[in-house]
Amino acid sequence: MSDPTTPAQPVPPSSVVLVSGGSRGLGLAIVTDLLESGLKVAAFARTVTPELAKLAGAHPERAHVGPVDVTDLAAAQAFVRAAEERLGPIDGVVNNAAVGQDSLHVHTATTDIARIIETNLTAPLQLTRLAIRRMLAQGRRGRIVNITSICAQRGFPGLVAYSATKGGMDAATRSLARELGGRVLVNAVAPGFFASEMSAVLGQTQLDQIVRRTPTGHLTEPVEVVPVVRLLLRDQTNINGQVIVVDGAASI
Amino acid sequence: MKELSRAQIRDLMGEVLKNQGKALPADDAADLREVGFRSLDFSELALRVEDATGEELNFDAPGLRRIATVGDVLDFLVELQRQ
Repeated sequence: MSDPTTPAQPVPPSSVVLVSGGSRGLGLAIVTDLLESGLKVAAFARTVTPELAKLAGAHPERAHVGPVDVTDLAAAQAFVRAAEERLGPIDGVVNNAAVGQDSLHVHTATTDIARIIETNLTAPLQLTRLAIRRMLAQGRRGRIVNITSICAQRGFPGLVAYSATKGGMDAATRSLARELGGRVLVNAVAPGFFASEMSAVLGQTQLDQIVRRTPTGHLTEPVEVVPVVRLLLRDQTNINGQVIVVDGAASI
Repeated sequence: MKELSRAQIRDLMGEVLKNQGKALPADDAADLREVGFRSLDFSELALRVEDATGEELNFDAPGLRRIATVGDVLDFLVELQRQ
């Protein structure tokens, strides 16, 4: 079935946003920013950290948090239903939950490769499917933001499976944007390496090299990524199916 | 599980270097940069140990970054076999 191209109505700003992996790091920063911006936020993570619990306690009417492993689809479904009962229909999703990698491909256990793919690729595709089905079934519009990585576009040792999943999500972003015909805006934000991760994922030599090659002279901080996520969820733009890199031009 | 001794791993390390026209110093304190033993050489050595023992040796990268000498390589692989 082919669709005629008709001007779609603008997708309204998201008002109830589901955030996966919202308990720490960038996810926690996104949850914090959205709540401070007046949105309602449903956030889950494998463990609800004291920071996330405190945040939810400060916004009891607008926050719904819980412990959910993103790979547990049934638990995610139950969480979404409970969140919508409390906050209203979800019209925004931030796929942030992911596991990292720090091992050369030849020395990465096959079970670890499967776990990385399940968490970083299969689970966000399932969660997105779940959210979109609910949006479409209720005749709503919405916005999806996938948090990917510069690893999807540039090569780094020790991150083969991780990079593959992030590249997969970048590709899914483009196809979903096409598939959803402007009714749901789908974009990705690809941060460069965060300072907090660098010492763990890359060695000091690589860290120094990346900083030297970054025109802005510093590694990306979560606070620099959050406004881009908010823009994609809230602002009236025609950005759709794009991957926005936030890395200070380190990769160009 | 068959386990290689430190001396056996040292022999394999010598073979890895010999294939590249390099020599393995007798001194365990020898610096890997001076020897010319790079991270992929370490991978090759680990895979040779795997072949010999029949067991996969999987490990994260941070451990590798602490390895600076021939002795560090041998200690790491001996320890890894026991995990």
